[in-house]
Amino acid sequence: MNLKEKLTILADSAKYDASCSSSGSNRKGNGFGNTAISGICHSFASDGRCISLLKILMTNCCIYDCKYCLNRRSNNVKRALFTPEEVCQITVNFYKRNYIEGLFLSSGIIKSPDYTMNLLIETIALLRHKYHFGGYIHAKAIPGASAYLLKKLGLLVDRLSANIELPTESGLKLLAPNKNSNNITKIMGYVKENRSSKFVPAGQSTQMIIGATQETDYDIMTKSSMMYQNFNLKRVFYSAYIPVNKDKLLPSITIPPLAREHRLYQADFLLRFYKFKVEDLISQDNPHFNLLLDPKADYALRHLDKFPKEVNTCSYQELLEVPGIGVVSAKRIISSRKYFSLTFQDLKKMGIVLKRAKYFITCRGRYFINPTLFNKSFIEKNLVLEENTQNNLKKEQLSLFS
Amino acid sequence: MKKNNYIYLYNDNFLSLLTLIKTLWQNKIIPANIKNSNYQQNLFDAVINLSLKEDDQLIKDIQKYLSKEILKTMFYVYLSENPQKELILFYFFGYSVKYKNKVFYYRNITVIDKVLKICKYVSNESHKLKGFVRFRELQNKVLYAEIAPSNNVLILLSQHFKNRLKNEFWIIKDVNRGILSIYDKKEFYLVSEENVNVATLNSTKEELVEELWQSFYKTIGIKERKNDRCRQNFMPKKYWKYILEVSDEL
Repeated sequence: MNLKEKLTILADSAKYDASCSSSGSNRKGNGFGNTAISGICHSFASDGRCISLLKILMTNCCIYDCKYCLNRRSNNVKRALFTPEEVCQITVNFYKRNYIEGLFLSSGIIKSPDYTMNLLIETIALLRHKYHFGGYIHAKAIPGASAYLLKKLGLLVDRLSANIELPTESGLKLLAPNKNSNNITKIMGYVKENRSSKFVPAGQSTQMIIGATQETDYDIMTKSSMMYQNFNLKRVFYSAYIPVNKDKLLPSITIPPLAREHRLYQADFLLRFYKFKVEDLISQDNPHFNLLLDPKADYALRHLDKFPKEVNTCSYQELLEVPGIGVVSAKRIISSRKYFSLTFQDLKKMGIVLKRAKYFITCRGRYFINPTLFNKSFIEKNLVLEENTQNNLKKEQLSLFS
Repeated sequence: MKKNNYIYLYNDNFLSLLTLIKTLWQNKIIPANIKNSNYQQNLFDAVINLSLKEDDQLIKDIQKYLSKEILKTMFYVYLSENPQKELILFYFFGYSVKYKNKVFYYRNITVIDKVLKICKYVSNESHKLKGFVRFRELQNKVLYAEIAPSNNVLILLSQHFKNRLKNEFWIIKDVNRGILSIYDKKEFYLVSEENVNVATLNSTKEELVEELWQSFYKTIGIKERKNDRCRQNFMPKKYWKYILEVSDEL
């Protein structure tokens, strides 16, 4: 098998991992390569996702038989295995040409978790020590591997991740019977305790598959929120389930639930940067996000009595609750209004999305449109209309109406 | 302050422009315009070249009495191709002296708003190109890339690659402006294309590496999630010509 064929097989198996960020690390490097704290996207794939890392598996051989996975033991697919030297050669040659920001190395479980982990360590150590590679490295921690191996790997990479795979314990038991969520949380706990500028400087992340089992958005967000709190995760990634296998335990969908995934990401940002709590957004009685409205607009409409807010006087936290005002805009408003009183025109200059914010704010006591139109049904109708003409709702959502 | 009808000229560099702007403010002159001395003059333009000595101290003074951020912002605007950039910088300098670092909060003032938008445009383009530059290895092992940016960001990119590819020889050519940045493992030099001749034949290994990258690129996209619009938003078509993996889709 030639190198190109190997690369194709092992990139194809790695592509379902959503994470591709290269941020959070600030290594100067002492020869070949460095990292940028903000991360850099080098290309965008045909699905619009950023490519910043060479995302590959060490091997797609696997002793496990997770139902949703292309590489499960019982699938009859072509298998390949990189040598450490091959991975280094490709990484170095791609990095030199500025195709990539670094390497994302994951793997199927070959022989045993420890054996696999050793293979990853050997490869990355070669890259760091023989090639003096100072670029970004994100590695998968293999659940079930020994702690001393985790320590070794963490000292070589910028970011580690262990995928929780499914939001609930029962889902994991059903679809990934060989995986044990304890092994995954053990890794997260260890990384959290030992994180430093030398050990996993860019922090850890994880990923969940959305729509392969029956869990609700409420289950998912509760799980995420718990993991952010307990393990200081940088990110939880949500990956709309894409059917690659046929199995009676798997849902029979043909189109991945992209609109749902989109809403989960929006809600995730609200948790991390806007100080929202899961209960503000959804509840056990109403456990799914509104697919027609983003979670913040939905929240604002359910709490219309708190609005409109006067931008010249309300608090930072209150500004964050306004649809169309993000973290950057809110900060700009706070610092500017010390020096002059803001008008709608000024807000526009500051990059506030007025077509959404206008329903929820006043400027110097003035409402943007006729104040009698400040009612739920009018605002809701317009927001839904606006979001749907934006054309950012993908095929899947449109099919809801056809 | 009195406004006059003259167009004041500066030499083709940032320091010369700053020196001129400072001198105009010191003499309370509002110019009709400020232009690079090599600009296309109109028959009726009344131009003045004060031939000021470039004031090396000025950079330090701006950092000290105004702020580093103001200096950086002005430099980024200077790198833009906005036809009014000199006059915009002239007024912005005045506001900076008045408000110091708080100048950035006065977005209600049109000139300041413009400066911030232009600055963001330039820094965004520079950031994007840090990812989109594609080198290829030449026969003499030099890494060579061509770009066609809307703004004059070559100097910003060079700074980036000087840190990143410290131990490589590399050349980046701005095709739009005919300037090359040449790095010799110590420093980079900006040179006009008339003064250099680069033999751009690829090294023998190049074809294989490019083929590997192309097949990786095609593989990594998920068919079920295909989204051309999203891709194009993040990676505007105007850059595609020089991005190896998409240049054949043009």
